[in-house]
Amino acid sequence: MLQRIYDWIDDRVDVTPLWRDVADHEVPEHVNPGHHFSAFVYCFGGLTFFTVVIQILSGMFLTMYYVPDIVNAHASVEYLQSDVAYGMIVRGMHHWGASVVIVMVFLHTLRVFFTGSYKKPREINWVVGVLLFFIILGLGFTGYLLPWDMKAYFATQVGLEIAETVPVIGELLYTLLAGGEFIGAQTLTRFFAIHVFFLPGALLALVAVHFIMIRRQGISGPL
Amino acid sequence: MEKNHNVSRRQFLTYTLTGVGGFMAAGVVMPMVRFAVDPLLQADAADDMVDVAAVDELTEVPQAYDLEYEQDQGWHIEQVSETVWLFLEGDEVVALSSVCTHLGCTVNWGTDPDNPEQFFCPCHLGRFERDGNNVPGTPPTEPLHRYPLEVRDGRVFLGTNAQPQI
Amino acid sequence: MRRGKGMKYVTDSRIPAREHRMQNIPKDYSEYPGKTEAFFPNYLLKEWLVGAVFLIGFLCLTVAHPAPLEREADPNDTGYVPLPDWFFLFLYQLLKYEYAAGDYVVLGTVVLPGLAFGALLLAPWLDKGPERRLSQRPIATAMMTLGVISTIYLTWESVEQHDWEADAEQAAMDDEDIREVDQSHEGYEIYQEQGCISCHGDNLEGNPGVQGPDLYDLAYDVEGVAEISVNGIGEMPGDMFDGTEEELQILSEYIVAGGGANEDEDVNGDDEEETEEDEENDEEDA
Repeated sequence: MLQRIYDWIDDRVDVTPLWRDVADHEVPEHVNPGHHFSAFVYCFGGLTFFTVVIQILSGMFLTMYYVPDIVNAHASVEYLQSDVAYGMIVRGMHHWGASVVIVMVFLHTLRVFFTGSYKKPREINWVVGVLLFFIILGLGFTGYLLPWDMKAYFATQVGLEIAETVPVIGELLYTLLAGGEFIGAQTLTRFFAIHVFFLPGALLALVAVHFIMIRRQGISGPL
Repeated sequence: MEKNHNVSRRQFLTYTLTGVGGFMAAGVVMPMVRFAVDPLLQADAADDMVDVAAVDELTEVPQAYDLEYEQDQGWHIEQVSETVWLFLEGDEVVALSSVCTHLGCTVNWGTDPDNPEQFFCPCHLGRFERDGNNVPGTPPTEPLHRYPLEVRDGRVFLGTNAQPQI
Repeated sequence: MRRGKGMKYVTDSRIPAREHRMQNIPKDYSEYPGKTEAFFPNYLLKEWLVGAVFLIGFLCLTVAHPAPLEREADPNDTGYVPLPDWFFLFLYQLLKYEYAAGDYVVLGTVVLPGLAFGALLLAPWLDKGPERRLSQRPIATAMMTLGVISTIYLTWESVEQHDWEADAEQAAMDDEDIREVDQSHEGYEIYQEQGCISCHGDNLEGNPGVQGPDLYDLAYDVEGVAEISVNGIGEMPGDMFDGTEEELQILSEYIVAGGGANEDEDVNGDDEEETEEDEENDEEDA
């Protein structure tokens, strides 16, 4: 039955080459932890991606209860955490996942650097990867404000004041990020939009580029 | 022979892969799904009885009263006010919902000049008898809902969830 | 593959006829050297086993440590000592140093991080040689190691310097510890004027951010409070009070009474004498 549905679609759209290419591509011995245990360092990229998937999923579910509004934000987070079944776990996944992503990205970056994998012809993929690192730091920064608790508010204040010290454009940057002269209702909605739409959009686009380039260029050879 | 061996190993790997993948997907998604469907599984809040009117005020003619109560909406408490039609049926108090059972407009008592002794819904000209039964041939297919009711010390207390009559 | 000319546009599509297409048959890996294997299912299974182990650990973490939530943001609570999320601590710490703060703040906020992250971004062009082994590119290796070590060091220092106990206290969800004091009292006015309020809070509740304890149910009598107000105690410096003797008396009485909010509100009469005696004993014990 499934086979027939597949054939029917394949007949019309020719999907076989799309996934066979991914399924059949060769994985050399030196990156395979099944052959050399030390090759587990090559898993950090995959684990980063896995954690990002967890972040996206848990984030999507969290927005079912969360309100980006200074009157209700804290109450809604408190409600989803303490009153909704498994709220503690889902918010915990998103909270700790944020830290785990950064640890994994850090380890992945170190692996790529210390195996010299960013060298010709993989320069662009390195740049894309570093941009992804920045995006993830940005996601961490903007997500921090959303529960609207004491820590969120004052850490954001410190962060924005750091932005303000940038010469020439500092104050513009502050006003742009805070949505005004001070941190308040407009800052929260702004950070929410950046955290939930802009940065994840950029993240997904760059992750796609990152993966397509890996398939085009293959994994770097053994040292 | 060698080929058969290959296929079975491949299948074994694929099955294991599906198993491990299923485990990971379940581990990640199950808490989230339980989180999302929580409203389905939340126990209904206890139905508090709300003081609406004194029995002395009521007559044979239905009168509109406000049923006011607080509705717990997660992190928000909503002040709800519903219109209730109260009247006496002999010695018994009857509390009918003002929500038309057709499409949810609000019914009024005796506003249709042709049928002054009936509830009338202006949206689709639905009509109900005094006891709440829908008049055949008009859009509603079900009688007006009744509120759970209790009389204590000469006061009428209503539950907040109107129940179907049938 | 047919393209362009000769193409029929109505019913035909670019999809080639079946016989010209890729067959849905796995690639034969016998021709590959060594232990190279297919991504699916061979390698993916290994990767997913790693992923499953990782996931179990991750879920254990989320179950064991609920995500923290502090009390609702109160922009007026200026005594709060903020701390960024741990991955920004290195930057936060950097700004504490003399040459990265004050007049040099641009150095700390823009120049140094800009150089570090800029170098990271442009690594392929800064380290252009073909060698990939660490030992064959000592400069790149040294720079990266330096960067990693200084980031870890700065984060470590920041964690070390932060007062985590005060952090936990100021983060507490409930405000139950704060009592409503009588703010119209003459003593409260003096309490404000003399600056006690900056360390002991609007409601005598204390301020963990600056190590000011709360002033409820003190173990001192009026004279004891008066003496501490003038001479200080522990972290509290002396000479904080510079009003008249009369004011000192009112202030001390007010504070001993907990601003009218002590559990035992009856500070006058017999009770007072008793508690005073007890408190004197306490002092002697201490």
